[in-house]
Amino acid sequence: MIQLNYYIACAVALYIIGMYCLASKRNMIKLVMGLEILVNAAHLSFIAFSAYRSIGYIDPLGHSIVIMSIGFAGCVTALALTIVTYAYKHYKTLDVRKLRRLRW
Amino acid sequence: MFTLPLDALLILMVATPAVGWVAYKKGYRKVPGIYASASLLVAAYFLYGLYKEVVENSIVLIVGQLPFNPPLEACLEIDMLSVFMAFLYIIIGLFATAYSIKFMERDSGLTEYYTLMLGMIAGMTGIVFAGDFFTLFVFWELMCLTSYALVAFRKRKWEPIEAGFKYLIMSAAGSATILLSMSFLYGMTGTLNFAALANSLTNTTSEGWLYITLALVIVGFGVKAAIVPFHTWLPDAHSAAPSPISAMLSGVMVQTGAYALARVLLLVFGSMQPAWQMTLAVFAVLTMFGGNIMALLQNDLKRLLAFSTVAHMGYILFGFAIASQEGLTASLFHVINHAIMKTLLFLCAGAFIRQTKTRYLGKLRGISKTMPITSASFAIGTIAIAAFPPLNGFWSEMMIIAAGVRAEMIIFSILTLANMALSVVYYFRLIRIIILEKPTKVSERATKAPVSMLIPIAILAFLCIFIGVYPGPYIDASSKAAEAMLNIEVYIDAVLGGL
Repeated sequence: MIQLNYYIACAVALYIIGMYCLASKRNMIKLVMGLEILVNAAHLSFIAFSAYRSIGYIDPLGHSIVIMSIGFAGCVTALALTIVTYAYKHYKTLDVRKLRRLRW
Repeated sequence: MFTLPLDALLILMVATPAVGWVAYKKGYRKVPGIYASASLLVAAYFLYGLYKEVVENSIVLIVGQLPFNPPLEACLEIDMLSVFMAFLYIIIGLFATAYSIKFMERDSGLTEYYTLMLGMIAGMTGIVFAGDFFTLFVFWELMCLTSYALVAFRKRKWEPIEAGFKYLIMSAAGSATILLSMSFLYGMTGTLNFAALANSLTNTTSEGWLYITLALVIVGFGVKAAIVPFHTWLPDAHSAAPSPISAMLSGVMVQTGAYALARVLLLVFGSMQPAWQMTLAVFAVLTMFGGNIMALLQNDLKRLLAFSTVAHMGYILFGFAIASQEGLTASLFHVINHAIMKTLLFLCAGAFIRQTKTRYLGKLRGISKTMPITSASFAIGTIAIAAFPPLNGFWSEMMIIAAGVRAEMIIFSILTLANMALSVVYYFRLIRIIILEKPTKVSERATKAPVSMLIPIAILAFLCIFIGVYPGPYIDASSKAAEAMLNIEVYIDAVLGGL
């Protein structure tokens, strides 16, 4: 059986990849994908912990949270893509650098 | 299901589209707004009943119908602090909704607007009622989702789109961070109930993970509470949103982040108080400096007010960082005062913007000649927020400093005092521009604001003076809420007593 540590390391790595994606990407759709990666890092961590609480038994609490959270992440993504659509209609580009009319 | 006030809010929110559709067919455009205000009044009435119950039992515990006890099942725990915060949300929400009826009349999609508004208030009420991380997260996402949509509500202009996207990305990253920290807590203890977590974290062995989790919690909630390195969404979102929404965001929603941070730190991480106390105090001072210095440079009325919100979050977080009875009382009293003052200022700013179509301070010079009542209320709010003695801001800010001195955090208290002195500069600049200078062409052409917008403004201005002259009952209420926050044993007993 694979050890729990590998899953946690993987979740932390996903979290870091997601943060890197948010910090460095310029395409708005890629930013939304970065958000999904971040949320999925937390999901993976939840599922791994709930599966390893005791041998042969899976804790339902972690699973119920992950199912709820997948729903929320779907809502957030839908809203984000709506805003991206309006931004594209307005600016004719998906580059966030072109959206820098706001000062700090 | 979730106690009467929250049920009422959720059910009335879900019913809003139906009401709005019928009203649209009949041609009554104002009905959704009046309906939303009435729903909030109903919720406030139910909340009063809940308050009486809390006075009798000190903690009301709501669990579902399943044959389990709280640590296994999601639950709601309502104590004095929850009722205190929920009252604030519903009252401020009522002012903002009543003001929106006239302010938003030229916009389309009003039904959606009021649905989202009620959803945001329901989400915030749910957050303060939550007894475990699961419930808190569900309502947290409800609040976040509705507020993203409200910030980007005027979707045909460039500014709400940019600000909404920036806010969405930052805040959703914060929510994901909270979720990750929740998963670590769950992995360490096997539960997400606040009381059970507080019990089992005292004798955990994995110190390193505990510190990582603490850092993730502070960052995650800090994004919403506008702690300085993570505050950059706030000025954009507050200035791009419609004015009543800015008032809601800045008056109560940012405080929800501070509430969640304080409750989780005091209750769940109570055993690690020395570790987070200094961190929070340093962040608080950074937040004050960041907000005040940036506010000095602004020429945009709503942006200036938004940065002043950042600074005030610093004062509130400093009170929470003291973590004594006095510090928490002062902080919670400042939460009331800040909500009232900032709502007043944003609603006045909304009236100026509606009548002149500009937010630029240079064009708003001398507007008191044409809009006297709004300008007078604005001046009252500005003097109150600059902490001058007869008004409400003075008492709470002085109480925060006094509590800091008594808790022997002298350096932080001096820095807070210096910040309050610094902030007077830009508040007086606002008063000078609005009242003392000669009117420009734009402000000469402005007309008086409609009466239905002036009523909430006048009531809020009156409250500023009233609380300033007669602060006793409000300080009492905040001190009871602070007591509930510090009485961790009672809280844990109420939840785990059956075991």
